[in-house]
Amino acid sequence: MTEFPTIFSITEAELDLNELLKQITLPSTGAACFFTGMVRGETHRDGLPPQTEYLEYEAYAPMAEAKMKQVAAEIRERWPTVEGIALVQRIGRLYPLTPTVLIACTAPHRDTGVFEAARYGIDRLKEIVPIWKKEIGPGGETWVEGKYTPKPEE
Amino acid sequence: MNKINILFFATMRDHIGEKRISIDVPGNIQVQELKTILADRYPNAAGALEATLVSINREYAFAEDVIPDGAEVAMFPHVSGG
Repeated sequence: MTEFPTIFSITEAELDLNELLKQITLPSTGAACFFTGMVRGETHRDGLPPQTEYLEYEAYAPMAEAKMKQVAAEIRERWPTVEGIALVQRIGRLYPLTPTVLIACTAPHRDTGVFEAARYGIDRLKEIVPIWKKEIGPGGETWVEGKYTPKPEE
Repeated sequence: MNKINILFFATMRDHIGEKRISIDVPGNIQVQELKTILADRYPNAAGALEATLVSINREYAFAEDVIPDGAEVAMFPHVSGG
């Protein structure tokens, strides 16, 4: 059986989406679904200035990469037709318009779960992968906190 | 005596004022006992220690989990990657 590529990393380098696509494309691949998130420069919310100057990301890198590997395994269990998987989080100081995270899945066809698999990947990353961000704006610094509490065996 | 290495991230690092510490504890204690020991040492962080997430050797851990000698423990708030 072909060994399907699984890429997971925490990096300070710029995300190269074309290069990552190459790494998860096989001769049998016919579809890829990419999710990427970027720093939003303007957020309209009550009582707060809308501008974000930048986000400062940090990670517990060895555990984060282990948890990304686990998310990839969960994707393979749920969508066995998925071929390549990439989960990459950029950390450090990131300014508006900059891609910060990439989740990509490839498969022979588009209709066997690549969209759902990529969606699952970003949702799980935000639940269990130990990464944090602080927002810096005109009003000062605010840590962004998630809400999900991992359960035993996660 | 067991030695435990503890890493603090994000708001937990701000509360404790350290990135990493190494402490000696009496034998195989549970996560909850470690939190009590740290709350005595860092009283200003007592509230944050109650709420913190904990990992032992890079796996999530819970109040009654036992911390082995030489473990790498980490304490951090709810994650916010993406």
